[in-house]
Amino acid sequence: MIAKELAQKVLAEALRTGADLAEIYVEDVVSLQLGLEDSKIEQAVRGADRGAGVRVFFGNLVTYAYTDTLDETSLMNAARAAAAAGSGSSQTRVIDLTERKSPLKYPVEIAFETMSIQEKANLLGKMDETARAYHPAIVQVNASYLELRRHMWLFNSAGVQVEDDRSYTEMRGGVIARRNGTLQSVREGFGGRMGLELLSRNDALGKMHEIAETAVKMLDARPCPAGEMPVVMCNGWGGVLFHEACGHQMEADFITKGSSAYTGKVGQQIANPIITAIDDGTIAGRRGSLAFDDDGTPAQRTVLIEKGILKEYMWDLVEARRVGRESSTGNGRRESYRHMPMPRMTNTFIDRGEHDPQEIIESVKRGVYIQSMAGGQADIAKGDYVFNATVAYLIEDGKLTTPLRGATIFGNGPKTLMQIDMVGNDLALDPGMGTCGKGQAARVSVGQPTLRIPAATVGGTDEPVSGM
Amino acid sequence: MTTDYLALAQAVAQRAAADGIEAEAYITHDTETQIKVSQGAVEQLSQSATRGIGVRIIDHGRTGYAYTSDFSDDSIEQTWRTARELAQIATPDEYRALPDPRPIPDEDLEIWDPKLESVPPEAKIDAIKRVERATLDYDARIILSEFCNYQDAISHVYLANSRGFAGQYGRTIALAFNMAIARGEDGGMVNAFGFGASNFFDELNPETIGRESASKAISILGGQPVPTQTAPVILDHFVSAQILGALAEALSAESWQKKRSFLLDRLGQQVGNDMVTLMDNGRMKRGVASAPFDAEGVPTSATRLIDEGVLQNLVYDSYSARKAGVQSTGNAQRFGHRSLPMLGPSNFYMQPGHQTRDEIIAGVEKGFYVISVMQTGGIDSVTGDCSMSANGLWIENGKIVGPVGGVTIATTLDGFLNNITAVGSDLRMVPAFGAIGVPTLRVDNVTIGGT
Repeated sequence: MIAKELAQKVLAEALRTGADLAEIYVEDVVSLQLGLEDSKIEQAVRGADRGAGVRVFFGNLVTYAYTDTLDETSLMNAARAAAAAGSGSSQTRVIDLTERKSPLKYPVEIAFETMSIQEKANLLGKMDETARAYHPAIVQVNASYLELRRHMWLFNSAGVQVEDDRSYTEMRGGVIARRNGTLQSVREGFGGRMGLELLSRNDALGKMHEIAETAVKMLDARPCPAGEMPVVMCNGWGGVLFHEACGHQMEADFITKGSSAYTGKVGQQIANPIITAIDDGTIAGRRGSLAFDDDGTPAQRTVLIEKGILKEYMWDLVEARRVGRESSTGNGRRESYRHMPMPRMTNTFIDRGEHDPQEIIESVKRGVYIQSMAGGQADIAKGDYVFNATVAYLIEDGKLTTPLRGATIFGNGPKTLMQIDMVGNDLALDPGMGTCGKGQAARVSVGQPTLRIPAATVGGTDEPVSGM
Repeated sequence: MTTDYLALAQAVAQRAAADGIEAEAYITHDTETQIKVSQGAVEQLSQSATRGIGVRIIDHGRTGYAYTSDFSDDSIEQTWRTARELAQIATPDEYRALPDPRPIPDEDLEIWDPKLESVPPEAKIDAIKRVERATLDYDARIILSEFCNYQDAISHVYLANSRGFAGQYGRTIALAFNMAIARGEDGGMVNAFGFGASNFFDELNPETIGRESASKAISILGGQPVPTQTAPVILDHFVSAQILGALAEALSAESWQKKRSFLLDRLGQQVGNDMVTLMDNGRMKRGVASAPFDAEGVPTSATRLIDEGVLQNLVYDSYSARKAGVQSTGNAQRFGHRSLPMLGPSNFYMQPGHQTRDEIIAGVEKGFYVISVMQTGGIDSVTGDCSMSANGLWIENGKIVGPVGGVTIATTLDGFLNNITAVGSDLRMVPAFGAIGVPTLRVDNVTIGGT
């Protein structure tokens, strides 16, 4: 995208005022988005974004300037703007750039171009027909398709030269069911770091049928009971629990400042010994997978918790430099060339346990089973988390019975990790739709086996459950 | 080098249009500054200018859109040609068309701070350092100021379409926020946010922002759950702003036409207590979401949506208005050049009442003053469900008796509108999905989930 000689020149300019490290991040993003609602293709959007950011490190001060023009003048101007905060003269020189290749390939098996835009739009039309044909109570259907290719190049004055060409495909569907003034809305989908092979590995029409079925079933949902009770979380999407409850607290920026409850706890028991948790940025086809992160560090698999013992945090370059670590864990991610990286999760999950999932449900006399959720949020300092269930069921005498609406599950991450007392043998990652927001958006995956929290706070409008 | 962006937008709209094919070009040119400080030192400093162009084509009721940040002639031509090709894919809809130009009232909305451009970075750094200082100095139990950020943007918007509309405006915004972290004697930590935003740099008050996060964090320190029960709650601005965000969605004509609003088909009906009056005003003076015209060139306006509890009107863009046979309220919004115009609120707010916050607290026999909440998808404009986790203070006999934490609160959006029994005089605008304004509110019959 930019020549090595030019990169070398821009880095030298960025170092002129006394910085100890300089970096150029270049990005070229092309996307196509199609959206259907009201049985009509309403959105057909093509985007092209190209730009570069120059980041300059003066110890713990990091300055940044970006440009959407990639010519020499603009890049040199960005380098000078980012360097302006310095007042010294250069002690650091640019080490010769050497291109590093990643062993991680993430090949696109079926290119976006092998299917016409019209064919992609037709698929959305069929998804709409499938959902509407399921039941007359379906009053609205939406479906969307996204393809995105984000190619990044990174050069830094320590001699790093890498690139990562990331392709993503996503399909989403949603329906609204209505009966006697009661509305229910269910949204799901699938996606991954891959090309159109996503569509042959998943059944879009089958998924729409399933979403429609769930929405109609949820019309009979009763308000969720409130109070403390056992909660069983489904596998796959249920991993939002770990992401919110503990994952964020293991991001290094919260550790180096001391705002996380896990600060200084490496080597200590922080979870029930049946729990092992991993952040793995190297899984083929997953949404959070990378060849190199946005600091230019190779992606890796990091065991966060092993049999209940805290092993490692998730580091980016800035936080690793702050504490003098030799390298980060490859968790530096940014939303675009207009942003600076920060520590983020990639694909994060609780590892496989020993229990049969059915056995876990049967173990609960009265509680709540969470099948699908709208996302979650974490309170770093306190360690509290919350997520809102979109599909949930009451468990009565070990069986799933009434569907529940408006369920909020709330708890304290560090406490919940100690409390989880059953972990299933059915580890799964989510279908590939997750986006984490921490000031910047990042594509992530979550995952877990079915698991049981013996007592969580459930928020709803109904009477408390008794007799647990 | 200066570019005449309005002339460029007009030229692109003209070139991209053809017989029966309408075109609109939208250009943004922004200069953005972001500064983050930590422990008295600047940690991040970013300053840059960015621009982009988006072209919308409507070809016999079919919409195509393409955008780019590359302003070369070839790239711009390719962008509008791509938009024209994409329009072929869309489903024809007789109501899809560009709006006819309407006169834009000549009125100063006070959204441009001519000084912002010349405020030196040192003054901005000083302002955000003062936020952190005010937080840390507030109480010895405050141990950290996190996410301590200053951001500003000097934005220029240029819009032209093939029906002859051509307009431009500038808007400035400066904002600062941080999160205070407090630690109690038992080692337990809590956090709370402080926030300020204005079109005018000089109106940011760093000390107020820093003290807000600190005082809120200190007040909820050591909070414990209460037993599960139904009780009145008092909601802080940030809390009710999240609920109003869902109401704004439910009050958009698009949500109605697509049957995804819990308020569907209740126009003219009493949907809330008569203390509830909800407004959307795109022409509010010094409103952070104010603009002379909306994202498709329609003049913005003030719309009374719920009047003393009666549902009176919805917000419209040109599409939903044409479909309903009414006039657009000028509520088409965009998130920069990358997005198609979308219907949404501008400055959306609840009309303030007469009571002070302290008077509202004094009127509660037993209840929960909610200071911060967490929810993601817990407030749903389709189903009307409304539940979240909450921290705050317990009230007995009109007095605050201690902190509460680790509980959930739940009601429905219908329940919220009908059970508002006190509206404060302290209206405050919170920038989120446009800008949302709420006074302190008392809501009865809320389920509190605790022990």
